[in-house]
Amino acid sequence: MRGIVGVFGDLDDTVEAIEALRTKRLGDITVYTPTPRHEIEHALHAPVSSVRRFTLIGGLLGVTFGYWIPIWVSDYWPLVVGGKPIASWVPYTIIGFELMVLIGALSTVFGLFALVRIPRITMTVGYDPRFSDASFGVWVECRPDEERAVREILEEHGADEVRGAR
Amino acid sequence: MATLAPTERVADLDPRRIASANIQLPSVRTYTEVNDDIIGTLRPTAGWLAALAITITCMLIGATAWTYQIYWGLGVAGYHPPVMWGVYIITFVFWVGIGHAGTLISAILFLFRAGFRTTIYRCAEAMTVFAVMTAGLFPILHLGRPWKFFWLVPYPNWRFLWPQFKSPLVWDVFAILTYLTVSTTFLYIGAIPDIAAMRDRETDPVRKRIYGVLSLGWRNSDREWRHFARAYLFLAAFSTPLVLSVHSVVSFDFAMANTPGWHATIFPPYFVAGAIFSGIGMVFTIIIPLRRWLNLKRYVTLNHLDAAAKLCLFTSQVVGLAYLTEFFVAWYSGSEFEQSYFWNRVFGQWWWAAWIMLTCNTILPLSLFSQKLRRNTTWLFILSIFINLGMWFERFVIIVPSLSHEFEPWRWSTYAPTYIDWAILLGSFGWFSTWFLLFIKQLPVVAIAEVKEIVPPPLRHEHEHGIDVGGHHVPFEVETPGEND
Repeated sequence: MRGIVGVFGDLDDTVEAIEALRTKRLGDITVYTPTPRHEIEHALHAPVSSVRRFTLIGGLLGVTFGYWIPIWVSDYWPLVVGGKPIASWVPYTIIGFELMVLIGALSTVFGLFALVRIPRITMTVGYDPRFSDASFGVWVECRPDEERAVREILEEHGADEVRGAR
Repeated sequence: MATLAPTERVADLDPRRIASANIQLPSVRTYTEVNDDIIGTLRPTAGWLAALAITITCMLIGATAWTYQIYWGLGVAGYHPPVMWGVYIITFVFWVGIGHAGTLISAILFLFRAGFRTTIYRCAEAMTVFAVMTAGLFPILHLGRPWKFFWLVPYPNWRFLWPQFKSPLVWDVFAILTYLTVSTTFLYIGAIPDIAAMRDRETDPVRKRIYGVLSLGWRNSDREWRHFARAYLFLAAFSTPLVLSVHSVVSFDFAMANTPGWHATIFPPYFVAGAIFSGIGMVFTIIIPLRRWLNLKRYVTLNHLDAAAKLCLFTSQVVGLAYLTEFFVAWYSGSEFEQSYFWNRVFGQWWWAAWIMLTCNTILPLSLFSQKLRRNTTWLFILSIFINLGMWFERFVIIVPSLSHEFEPWRWSTYAPTYIDWAILLGSFGWFSTWFLLFIKQLPVVAIAEVKEIVPPPLRHEHEHGIDVGGHHVPFEVETPGEND
């Protein structure tokens, strides 16, 4: 992995640099930002997160399991009381609901971890501690022959610092 | 949030027009300032150590009382038939309720885009986790053989006999464990970007390594934020019905029993409203001293407290309506037992407890109709203590008068907590406060990344704009009263 990172002090410079890089189709862009900004998201044209699929599947599994366990247990020790059905779905709805929330929430977290690939043991090439403080970073993973053009765009758009990393 | 036209000055406006749910922080202008101020609160101080010593002492008093109770049995806790639920169950319900405001502020107000939650939600969320951890102790404290507590966990015995899934006590286990797990997850996931900010700033190698592990290698990339925002939204969406369900399930512990005063369908909403009300009271008890001691007045502004006080007033009204509805239902039911019970509750044996409840929960909060008092932190703090007291007594009034005044007059009895009960109650406050004090020096009490969302971003050209909750630029209300008090 090799590329160029530009450190920006201002949001508008960062957004303009991203747009210029995208227009010229140079490299693969990753933007580091101290807080999520709609301007950056729009400039990157990022697709909607697919974490919702994990949430849906987890929730469905949870509610199914939450109903299945008490129904199966009731059938395993069938005690008829007052001629009522052995498996009563009304109280089991509480178990189903709680397990839907529990497994749905945990699978959402699992989805988040899987999609952003964390936990990560080593820090990514190009990352700078200033990106969690007040600076914006644009990391462009590119071929050696594209590096010069990338540098020029980042400098042209007001990057405070531009350097290569690998 | 009210938005002023650029030419308007706040000082010229009618005070009633001032937006108290204003989310702007006019005196915080840069991202670096946010990092400096909030991470700066983590340095331990002598006052913090002294407070920790006091809370640990309280916790040890509770632990000693519990040891004594384990040796001599539950009789030392003042139980005698028919009152077999006392301070422990009262305090269990009290602490579960405290937790609810945390989830309301962090999840429900997040979904409703209520901006004033931004600077107080981390504290409220931590309060939820520690309150549920405290509540979870009480069913165990209430066991004659607490070392068998794992029998509560739903798994089959050696004859493959499972617990009774139709029992409210089993529902409680599912609800409380789910609530604790989801709240803790929500707190931790929300804190990951802030832990990463602490990791990047830390110079001590050991602490840096610890923060490095806890931040899971977070690096603030666009991809991470995109998935994070979505996951956070779904966690909030799950937490919202969860918070409503947990206290409903706790209320079923009572409502499923055929006991006067308990067997009512109003219990779930009544409990949820009371829980949120009590939790907001505890948020004030915690956040008002914290903003002073940690020098966070520029972040937790009077406008934020004013908005939270309105929520407190609203929930107080709902709780007051629930009290009145209970009396109406008792009268309208025509049931002699219900009517006798409610009369006994307010004008009979337990009048003093009922009137403490009514005064603290419905009469004193009426003061919050005054904007002046909503913005007076001393009054808010004093009121929050009364609310805590009143909500503890609400649970006392629900549990003790019902059990001591059931159907048969020959069974009518009384109840008085013993010094063991009081010691364990004190210990529970010590346990909760110890966790909280440890938390405020390990993790930022205000969410750094979220506060940056409402601080104007650094731009090439100077600008005088704030950011609203939707990320739009709006005129900056520099002189909004209360922002810098």
